[in-house]
Amino acid sequence: MSAPTKRHLPLTLGYKKNKASIRGKDKKVTLNLTSMIDMFTILVVFLLKSYNAEGQIVTLSDALTLPESRSDHKIELNLEIIVTNEAIIVDGEPIVFVDESVLSEGNPIPVLVERLSDHLEYTRLMRGTIDETEMKVNIQGDVATRAILLQRVMSSCAQAGYATQNLTVIKVEGGDDEL
Amino acid sequence: MAQAATGRSHRVRHSPELDLLPVMNLFCVIIPFLLLSASFLDITIIEMSPTEGISTGAGTTSLAQSEEQQLQPKIILTNEEMFLGTVFGTRSISRVFLEDRNGEMVNRYDYDALSEALGDFREELDEAFPSIPVHKITILTVDDVRYDNIVKTIDVCADHDFNQPGLQVAAYSVLQRQLAAGTTGVLP
Repeated sequence: MSAPTKRHLPLTLGYKKNKASIRGKDKKVTLNLTSMIDMFTILVVFLLKSYNAEGQIVTLSDALTLPESRSDHKIELNLEIIVTNEAIIVDGEPIVFVDESVLSEGNPIPVLVERLSDHLEYTRLMRGTIDETEMKVNIQGDVATRAILLQRVMSSCAQAGYATQNLTVIKVEGGDDEL
Repeated sequence: MAQAATGRSHRVRHSPELDLLPVMNLFCVIIPFLLLSASFLDITIIEMSPTEGISTGAGTTSLAQSEEQQLQPKIILTNEEMFLGTVFGTRSISRVFLEDRNGEMVNRYDYDALSEALGDFREELDEAFPSIPVHKITILTVDDVRYDNIVKTIDVCADHDFNQPGLQVAAYSVLQRQLAAGTTGVLP
């Protein structure tokens, strides 16, 4: 029986070795994965630390920058009111466009009170009853919002029946140098 | 088995290698999942307390509540100065200075001085009225104070256990008149 030609030799190294392997030029190349595993382990630990099982409850608007605070109260799913120096938005719908007339008074804003009252009434009709958890709003305000506007929104909420107003902020860890 | 004349085996001994490929596969699945579930922005809330002018509809007022209301301090923010109004009197905390924030010149208040003043007031309060827990505080501002300054003030208050902040806004002229008369709603 004649010896097999080089062309018919299997690619994996068998018990019969060709001339190249005998000369040590056909070594099996293996990747050293240890350093990559190390890196992945660090990455996984970091991501596990940032892991949030609840998901993102609120959607932040691009139009505003939330202020930073050290408060650690967890956010709840409530009616969202977005307040900027341009508009007041309730549940994604612009209700009031802010102008000088809005900023010159200190009373509740009638249009906003009406919209919020409607929302509360709708909730009452849908659920049959209403408890304290439904009487809460989250106010997302831009850092540059003026106090008068914020106060008008808060008093509008109170007049409409939303007794608890929460200010949505971005949590910062302890040592803020500015404070 | 054929052995060398020395009697030693010529079998090559390999050190055992771990097969890391399954671990890599696991990581490749876990990392995209964790990346999708990770939240890099921690959003929290500040619970505001109802204040005068913000009705709650609740009409029950006990004696203890009214005492607390009498004792509750007020931080007054104007565009020139910051004050602390307490049951022991109203006093100036610091002047306001301007700082450049994202290209805009805005008011900056001295929160260190406020923290110190609130700490002193908390000690005085605990000595003078140990049986009355005071956690409410009112932030009384002029109408154009920025929201981030209000939030920072609330943070400083919370450091001293005044963790039920309320917001009141007054016109500048009204506030100046009240400050001049010493009637900012706090007993002298």
